[in-house]
Amino acid sequence: MTPEEIQQIFFVECEESLAAAEAGLAACRDGTQDDDTVNSVFRAVHSIKGGAGAFGYAGLQAYTHTFETLLSDVRDGSVPLSETLCSLLLRALDTLSDHVTAAQEGTALPDDAALLAELSAAQANGAPAEKTPAPVEAKTEAPAAPAAPAVADDDDDDLAGAEIDLDALLDDLVGPAPTAEPATAAAAPAPGWQLHLHPHAGAMRNGAEPMTLLRELASMGARCVSCNLSHLPGLDMLDCEQGYLGFTYELPASVAESDATDVFDFVRDDWGIAVGNDAAMPPVEITAKQPASEAAAVAVVPPVAPVQADAPDAVPAAAAPATTATAAAAAAASSAPVAPAAGQSIRIDLAKLDRLIDTVGEMVIAQAMLAQRLEGDTAAKEELQMLEGLTRDIQESAMSIRAQPISSVFSRVPRILRELAVSTGKHVRLEVLGETTELDKTVLERLGEPLTHLIRNAVDHGIESADQRLAAGKPAEGTLTLSAEQRSGRILIKVADDGKGIDRARVLEKAIAQGIVAAENQLTPEDIDHLIFAPGFSTAQTVTSVSGRGVGMDVVRQNVKNLGGRITIESEAGVGTTFTLALPLTLAISDGMIVNVGDQTLVVPLTHVVESLRPTAQDVQGLGTARQMLNVRGRFVPIISVAQQTGYHGKQVQANEGVLIIVDTQVAGQAALLVDTISDQRQFVIKSLEANYRAVEGVAGATILGDGRVALILDVDSLVGGALGHSSAIREAA
Amino acid sequence: MSNALRILTVDDSASMRALLLHALSSRGFDVVQADDGQAALQWLVTNDVDVIITDINMPRLDGFGLIERLRSGERHCDRPILVLSTESSDEKKARARAAGATGWIVKPFDADKLVAAVRRVAH
Repeated sequence: MTPEEIQQIFFVECEESLAAAEAGLAACRDGTQDDDTVNSVFRAVHSIKGGAGAFGYAGLQAYTHTFETLLSDVRDGSVPLSETLCSLLLRALDTLSDHVTAAQEGTALPDDAALLAELSAAQANGAPAEKTPAPVEAKTEAPAAPAAPAVADDDDDDLAGAEIDLDALLDDLVGPAPTAEPATAAAAPAPGWQLHLHPHAGAMRNGAEPMTLLRELASMGARCVSCNLSHLPGLDMLDCEQGYLGFTYELPASVAESDATDVFDFVRDDWGIAVGNDAAMPPVEITAKQPASEAAAVAVVPPVAPVQADAPDAVPAAAAPATTATAAAAAAASSAPVAPAAGQSIRIDLAKLDRLIDTVGEMVIAQAMLAQRLEGDTAAKEELQMLEGLTRDIQESAMSIRAQPISSVFSRVPRILRELAVSTGKHVRLEVLGETTELDKTVLERLGEPLTHLIRNAVDHGIESADQRLAAGKPAEGTLTLSAEQRSGRILIKVADDGKGIDRARVLEKAIAQGIVAAENQLTPEDIDHLIFAPGFSTAQTVTSVSGRGVGMDVVRQNVKNLGGRITIESEAGVGTTFTLALPLTLAISDGMIVNVGDQTLVVPLTHVVESLRPTAQDVQGLGTARQMLNVRGRFVPIISVAQQTGYHGKQVQANEGVLIIVDTQVAGQAALLVDTISDQRQFVIKSLEANYRAVEGVAGATILGDGRVALILDVDSLVGGALGHSSAIREAA
Repeated sequence: MSNALRILTVDDSASMRALLLHALSSRGFDVVQADDGQAALQWLVTNDVDVIITDINMPRLDGFGLIERLRSGERHCDRPILVLSTESSDEKKARARAAGATGWIVKPFDADKLVAAVRRVAH
């Protein structure tokens, strides 16, 4: 893996962290302020900071540090999480997102000075005065308490244990130096300095090995010049877990004191350390039973200032909180929620995935061809069915790989609303439903832009100002509802506001003025609503940075159409407007009903099909001269002859001779499509007609049938809409 | 069977895992990785390593919890465990010591220093 690839992982991770932090902060703002939620926010920012440091993004790191410091105090409860603070944190998160983008794209850092000041102020207000934010590279200094080591008790002359052969041990310690005898300082190079070390009983705990530390010291050029054996008891009293030996090392002057003591940085509690030629050996600590970590006799004194004071009972502060920390950690560990495993995952190149989907698509066709070829072959029937089942399984698996929850798109909305609140002064509450609904990744990616347009439009045009709302008897704060659901093979995404609704009189006036529709056209309210999708249409009185340039809605419509989806509007004056995007589950493969009309084979996408039936003569009733209606269990739906609509000139079947397929449409509710026969129901791979030929009204695309022939896929919405004269004026205009 | 030191890294950040993998495997260590304390704990039930390097802030089971759980059992009570954290406060270090950590590395880490720290604790 190259460093660039690792960086890429980092940025993906940043996005995940930002989303998690945003979700957490939004939950906090809405009242969920438990430890898990606050901790998840902290962890997300903390994780970005960690990566920023590792990859050398100093600006990002410095910013996250201040952010994290405040979050840390919030987590500890020393800064209360008020609503004001939540909104500050959310704004800070937006800037963090800008920082990440700047780091990723190598662009200029965002101006965060004001925000940093606010964050620091928020922290200072809540935190105790002495807790000021530490600088980024906060070096922890050793507690340089001038606590002198206790004078080694040297009255004990019992060296019974000294006869133990320590040569091997000492050879190991001193490395290349041959001498194992207590040496005098004179034997060493003159400007060196001495380090006195005394590992205590605890030095062997927790997988620690004192020897490795001494070895490292030796690798710096240190020589062991004496070994204090005065505490070594008789063999019968020897407890191999205690630290009896003290070592004096001599280091060359070139080795900085901090470098040498750094080796022992983490184990200071378990070692007695004293620096200086005249410093005494730290006292031995023989513990009775439990290896304890209290009373670390750390004494770092500069070589120039020898200390000969008697030992005060210097107990560094670190020991006391250690025990409570243990208890807290244990409690935290036991109460840690056992969340569902955060699924193992791998990252793969999207191109590879697309190739897989394409291949699966071809396989679906090949399977259909094979089924056709072997039709009637009873011997192969079972295997064919098995193959069909497997093909479907593979296809579904492949599709599910590409599926992602829509929350990745919805999660960007709070930021859009915050920015709109600043630019328009309208505060909007967001409600999100069905954010776990999964969509094809490509659909998701291309959904962001139209959705942003719709939201901006809803806030700018739909939701009234606070004053107007209050005057209309509504709450001052508007509500925007985003929802996603899967319904009959489609994904429905709704953007609903509780604003003033579409001003139809003004829309029509503008449309006529702009020459989009002729004044004499009789338009239904729905038709007028759809006029806002016409290119160049805009009703905004003034052009703002938010919307009003008239390039929004037709782009939205086109984007949605390119995804194989549709957009519809429901609007009620004074109550609000709802935009509904109906999108296909996948872009590549669909289920369809293969029907015959005259000598043509056509495909009706199964997503539209409600049911199919063979009507009796009584079920079909005339309405005027041109239209027939079908009585479906007491309800009448218009019958539309597919042959007639597609301009077939041969002999056409009558309603009571053919098959009627009841379809659901977005534009005109239900309708019954009249076809000659239904021959099959199977999966088909959509091939674009537009790319290979040109767009044809009423045709959504083409596919290859099992026998290799090309069949057209019906665009049910436009077919029905066209037949019923529904919004055809708009369709042509758009 | 190679006699390279086997190291388990525990970190919930994919980029940090990638960095650790790169730094350690390019210097001849045998590297195994876990996403959080819980995953590490499960893996360690049936596997052995020479050194464990763990992050502190992780979902499910954090670094302190992991160390305490390992120390309380027989199998891993003497295993060298290094804490890898962005924090460098004495309070956190004391807590790590109390939990039973063997050493402490501050993120962002220098690859050579990381290796030195590993060698310092490896038996």
